[in-house]
Amino acid sequence: MEIATEELPGEITRVILAGSLDIAGAAAIDLRMNVIAGAKRTVLVDLRQVSFIGSMGLSALVAPARAIKSRGGKMVLFGPNQLVARVLRASLVDTIIPVYNDLEAAIAAVR
Amino acid sequence: MAMETEYAQVQTEVIDRLVLCGGLSETCRLSEWVQSLAARYCIDDELEFAIHLCLEEAVSNIIRHGYPPGTIEPVTVEFSCPREGGLMFTVEDSARPFNPVLEPVMPVLDTGDELTIGGRGVRLLRAFAHVLEYDRTTTGNRLRIGFKDPRLQALMSTRMVSQP
Repeated sequence: MEIATEELPGEITRVILAGSLDIAGAAAIDLRMNVIAGAKRTVLVDLRQVSFIGSMGLSALVAPARAIKSRGGKMVLFGPNQLVARVLRASLVDTIIPVYNDLEAAIAAVR
Repeated sequence: MAMETEYAQVQTEVIDRLVLCGGLSETCRLSEWVQSLAARYCIDDELEFAIHLCLEEAVSNIIRHGYPPGTIEPVTVEFSCPREGGLMFTVEDSARPFNPVLEPVMPVLDTGDELTIGGRGVRLLRAFAHVLEYDRTTTGNRLRIGFKDPRLQALMSTRMVSQP
């Protein structure tokens, strides 16, 4: 599991995840996501290269989303493939963390 | 997906078995095992995803919540085909009783209107498995997780005959 960040105009941070967000993948990004959640106010999580996600992976997204929200910020997800999107819907995570199809829609939502 | 309860009475031969003894760190073997089964039986990406997801949820739940902290006990996953076009995975442990078929799902928001962190595994199991059946055994729990794929019908018959 790989994680990278990119700063976008407007103090928006894009977090790019790549790989399988299974148990090992969630453990691999946990610390970095928590650091990002503690420092950034507007975060877009790019899921376009995420091939799998389980409940531990969902927790690795929900915990920072909660931390960012508690500081008055916002975190959104974008670009999940069809199966990852189905997990987000089935778990109802999409009802609490907004999910968008692409980067442009995600940026528009947080501006 | 619509749940069915029909595998409990079916006698079936175990085709492959995975025993996990090393706690959460060993669950990477689970995804490798599912990948190898998918390759061997031409399981498509969508079904492989569902199998991987359901087994990871079931096994990780046992490892994290089934035993006292610091205790690691084996979890066995068996693969079988109770009927043509059907795949079954039987997960057995010696943990405290836990029936995900009857377990109430946790709310998305907690009482303080905050996002809850846990409790999504049962929801995902129910959404992605076609069959979920539970038995309490003399030593622990047995969970049967079934999947159906009509496309596999002819293929599985051929492959199973040719397996050594």
